[in-house]
Amino acid sequence: MSEAGFSYAFPHRDLLGVSGLNPLDVRIIFERAERHLARNAERDKKGSSLKGLTQINLFFEASTRTLASFELAGKRLGADVVNFSAGNASIKKGESLADTAETLAAMRPDLLVVRHSSPGAAKFFSELTGVSTVNAGDGAHEHPTQALLDVFTLTRRWGEIGGRRIAIVGDILHSRVARSNVSLMNLLNAEVRLCGPATLLPADADRWGATVFHDLDAALEGCDAVMTLRIQRERMAGGLIPSEREYAALYGLTHDRLETAQPDCLVMHPGPMNRGVEITSALADDPERSTILDQVEAGVAIRMAVLELIAERSGERTEITP
Amino acid sequence: MSATLITGARLVDPASGHDGPANIRIEDGRIAEIGDALPAGPDDEVVSARGRVVAPALVDLRAHCAEPGGSGAESLDTLMAAAASSGIGTITLSPLSGTGISRPEHIELIAARALTAPVRLAAAGLATSDGIEINEIGLMLRAGAGLVGDGGRPIADTRLIRRLLAYASGFDAWVSLSPEDPFLSAGTIAHESDMSVRMGLPVRPGVSERIGIERVAALAELTGALVLFDRVSTAEGLAAVAAARRRGLEIAASVPATHLMFNEVDMGGFDPRHRLDPPLRAESDREALITAISEGLIEAVVSDHLALPADAKANPFSDAVPGSASIEALLPALCTLYAEGRLSLLEALRPVTSGPADLLGVQQGRIAEGAPADLIVFDPQAPVVHGRDGPVSQAPSAFSGRRLHGLVLLTMVEGAIVHQAET
Repeated sequence: MSEAGFSYAFPHRDLLGVSGLNPLDVRIIFERAERHLARNAERDKKGSSLKGLTQINLFFEASTRTLASFELAGKRLGADVVNFSAGNASIKKGESLADTAETLAAMRPDLLVVRHSSPGAAKFFSELTGVSTVNAGDGAHEHPTQALLDVFTLTRRWGEIGGRRIAIVGDILHSRVARSNVSLMNLLNAEVRLCGPATLLPADADRWGATVFHDLDAALEGCDAVMTLRIQRERMAGGLIPSEREYAALYGLTHDRLETAQPDCLVMHPGPMNRGVEITSALADDPERSTILDQVEAGVAIRMAVLELIAERSGERTEITP
Repeated sequence: MSATLITGARLVDPASGHDGPANIRIEDGRIAEIGDALPAGPDDEVVSARGRVVAPALVDLRAHCAEPGGSGAESLDTLMAAAASSGIGTITLSPLSGTGISRPEHIELIAARALTAPVRLAAAGLATSDGIEINEIGLMLRAGAGLVGDGGRPIADTRLIRRLLAYASGFDAWVSLSPEDPFLSAGTIAHESDMSVRMGLPVRPGVSERIGIERVAALAELTGALVLFDRVSTAEGLAAVAAARRRGLEIAASVPATHLMFNEVDMGGFDPRHRLDPPLRAESDREALITAISEGLIEAVVSDHLALPADAKANPFSDAVPGSASIEALLPALCTLYAEGRLSLLEALRPVTSGPADLLGVQQGRIAEGAPADLIVFDPQAPVVHGRDGPVSQAPSAFSGRRLHGLVLLTMVEGAIVHQAET
């Protein structure tokens, strides 16, 4: 279907999670991202669709790649981009997040990109400020642009992800990336498998629309793609896993372990990687297998698409209600 | 001295199981006579309560304010005004009210304030300091503490719980303890379920409550102490309470009013007003709590009133301070269960009248000749929207905007009318 065939306009003025999207929304985002991906490969990358708009990237958690990706996305569309990296400590000094939100809203931004350690934080900002908000990660809840860029990367390889078998391996319990990906992959009819030690899998994960495995070899059987997640070193201290060595031996991805998967099985990682722990260097750098750099490249295009679409939507609304 | 006569009402008294028409004569702050057609004397004040219900004024076993020792969103005066307007005749301050009720002097201070208070004030003393050593329980009880407890912070040290229960058993005092495993519950924000896990919140499993109850119940069996499990909220916890009772232990349980009205779905939108401790549980847990009340397994339904300043809730769900201003919803929550046909009025009122009064060892909470005239006149079916008509307590409440039933028309404490609705 050509884009002109849509009689459906992207309806969202925020992107707080994958859970609010339908397959058509995803398709609109992907079509838009495809154009940005092509443009980003050219020498002149500068667009003007967000010209005159102010985008505030509000990051309460340390981030390099996601912040850079959102900053580039906004700038390539012509927005004025400001980064606030506020440590969560500033809240504990007395200012409530509601005060922070109202202060920022008074600066009249048009787009907010929020990362915060508390689930629901992006929704909180959106509701309090009325400014179009993109959730760039709220605790262990959602990270919708990451899931979109992951699925976009797979869609570009395969045409569609429906009917494909995808395994997500590692610390599912603490992962917003896993939560958003399970939702999005379910939405698009992929078969999702979750694999990790029982301590890193939520007790009710089998009710998420995914099959749960504790044995990596069984989980990888027949997979078209496998995504492995970063294992945080503090999980060892909390008694969730005994050691990095044991984790790497049981759940680390290697070329050998992919034997049971499909011969052309893709390997994904949302980054940053612990090389030699959840994935070997050889596999991460294998151009036949690894999509890791494609994911990063797709990330800028997806974020451009999302920023543009929600800005268009909120712009319309402003005109309707003067 | 003249008397007051309440006529035409339906009298509901859980202590005696009476539910039917009766007149009540009140003299010298006490109930002088209960009967079918009591004649009014020439100087008697007659309160016509035709079509209304008369019941004992409520006894709330758990509320917080900024006192003793602090200042903040809710003073003792505003708390008592809110209580009077919502049919509560006796408030029990939680051990963690104000800066903590941990010394006999704090109890004496509250007793002094009670002399001029519109409603009765009771206090629960904090049983231990930081879960390390036992406070002056004997002196606090002698000064008038109604019970002692951990105030909602589970004591980790099992040996200290044993010593606390053994020591308190010498005074025949109820010891109110949190039904939680201190480690499984630490740092948790939501009830463990597929829903909360998807929301990415740190979760508390129902089994934490079961283990907390089984641990303390075993020690109650060892020491012979009277234990009140303070704010039971799960089906697993209720099963553990029932099992302990079957072994013949003197175990009581309280339930927060919020958990009879709401479940985890109410916090699904990350609304900080529904950040509570214990967290809102599954619908099956809420159902189990209501069933337990109808079966008489629950001695007390508590408001667990905690008036927080607005900025304590001006943060995302998991950073908001847990708690809700709920005292004005205590009776409406129970009336709503009555209006929905889930509980009879006797079942609904027992855990806010004679149930908690018996735990405190006080005479009010019942309608009997010679008992203190602590009464309410109310309409259990009247629809109300919580907070719409300007609640007395201005703090954030999980009940804000909720449609409930139950309107208090008159509150009487020791024969004195402390609240009368404008009609």
